[in-house]
Amino acid sequence: MRAYLRTIWESVSTLVTGMTITWRHMVNIRKGNVTLQYPEERWPRPERDIGFDQDDYNVIRSRLHVDMDDCIGCLKCERVCPVDCIKIETEKVDKGEDIPDVGHTGITSNGTKKALLLTRFDIDMTECCYCNLCTYPCPEECIYMTGGPNSEKHPIDYEFSQFDRNDMVYRFAKEASEEQVEKATCVKNGEKKNG
Amino acid sequence: MGVAAAKEIGPVQAEEMVLNIGPQHPSTHGVLRLKVKTDGEIVSEVIPYIGYLHRCFEKHAESITYEQVIPFTDRCDYLGSMNNNFGFAVAMEELMDIKVPERVEYIRIIMAELNRIASHLLALGVYGLDVGAFTPFLHMFRDRERILDIFELTCGARLLYNYMWVGGVSHDLPRNFDSICIDFLDYFEPKIPEFNELLTTNKIFIERTADVGVMPAEVAISYGVSGPNLRGSGVKWDVRRDEPYSIYDKFDFEIPVGSGDVGTLGDCWDRYWVRMLEMMESCKIIRQALKTIPEGGDVHQMVPKKIRPPKGSIYRRTESPRGDLGYYIISDGSEIPFRMKMRSPALTALSVLDEISAGWMISDVIAILGSLDIVLGEIDR
Repeated sequence: MRAYLRTIWESVSTLVTGMTITWRHMVNIRKGNVTLQYPEERWPRPERDIGFDQDDYNVIRSRLHVDMDDCIGCLKCERVCPVDCIKIETEKVDKGEDIPDVGHTGITSNGTKKALLLTRFDIDMTECCYCNLCTYPCPEECIYMTGGPNSEKHPIDYEFSQFDRNDMVYRFAKEASEEQVEKATCVKNGEKKNG
Repeated sequence: MGVAAAKEIGPVQAEEMVLNIGPQHPSTHGVLRLKVKTDGEIVSEVIPYIGYLHRCFEKHAESITYEQVIPFTDRCDYLGSMNNNFGFAVAMEELMDIKVPERVEYIRIIMAELNRIASHLLALGVYGLDVGAFTPFLHMFRDRERILDIFELTCGARLLYNYMWVGGVSHDLPRNFDSICIDFLDYFEPKIPEFNELLTTNKIFIERTADVGVMPAEVAISYGVSGPNLRGSGVKWDVRRDEPYSIYDKFDFEIPVGSGDVGTLGDCWDRYWVRMLEMMESCKIIRQALKTIPEGGDVHQMVPKKIRPPKGSIYRRTESPRGDLGYYIISDGSEIPFRMKMRSPALTALSVLDEISAGWMISDVIAILGSLDIVLGEIDR
């Protein structure tokens, strides 16, 4: 009987202790302890003081973006991707030549001469696992995740959604019809192709 | 009339009933199906059916390069991703004979211990949820959120990090990391007594967990149970201390074991309590590491351009939040692993479920399952 009563007493007293904590938290409510009204307001992105000489670090996981003017089509990012969500196709063109028809610039911002015309550069963001492996091997630093340290290159975009699954495949290659591509590559490499 | 009806029906026949829990059930912590044979309310046998989350991790690893394996190890035990990366990196470095810079070792240990706290917070929070306490869950998730913020600050990701590479880590710590991390520890350590008042000493919680699902040390050892579950049974075994990897031998920390103060040694409450104590030990390790971490140096210094280990094999185990996490890697000298095996601590913890839950009631099976802290992503791989 005594044990029975003691159990009841302990239950009540520990419940009161627990409720005291709850009430204490309710009384001491501070700014930031309330629910955030998400679509209207957002958590700030953490501010990172990276220091040293490593401010080119890609310290964010968001949507992948490619600066096509800088891409030389080396396929390094395609090869390193563990889920094969990057698909690249290239055509050979003359080194360093601009081909305005298909939006091809011959020289990257680093001064590398581009020998390949990119006819396809697709990133399927539904497959992407945000592992950030593709951004490291890029010799031109043209593939990166948006925002964060790259925010001057591209504003942050981590809440992207689409109504159609196919719209999640981001096509970065400049749009050009097949004839245009054929013309551009044929004219420049006419002798090589025919011979 | 009652007598007449009873005569018509005949004597009451008690049969064993098979109850199916899961695969979609909030208390199975993932996609797990339990076939429970019951006699009335008493459980006589629990058969777990696994494989709903099977993603062919081991087979798939045989077709991708070593650096591409690391994002997949994240996804096995998704609550302790840092520890999974850590285990793989340590095994690979031993195989390739790489000596990583000291700063990297410290960074890894800080991250692994932070992740251990985060994982235990989730385990304890949802354990409260399993046995009917909702408030502690919210408190613990609030604090776990702050750890995830620290991870986001460091490497950009909140859950699946791909942070520890073979030979290094992907990002150096930010300059303001020290103050942020110490702020968190100063905030977090006083919270543990609050959790204890809320949940640990709560009489209803004690009645639900103490003396329930007793796992004697012999049973735990014979099933190969490891980690907090084994220590809850009073066995002082921790890979961090007994087979030190990385630089764990430099730190001074206790191995908490179950005491049986509240109920019997090795009951659900002991397993819960060991996790609570482990969080405090992790805080201690992080504080020591932050004090002695060397400055400067490139964290990518020892990262090999191409990971091409010599012919041979390695088995290395590390202490993940769930126990002994082992990687067995066979290399044939190419860039792709010839065979890879992951020894998952949660699988052994699940296999002991039948042994320790026979004779308990159905609601106790839920309490026992929660106290084992399984992650189905790791069991099925």
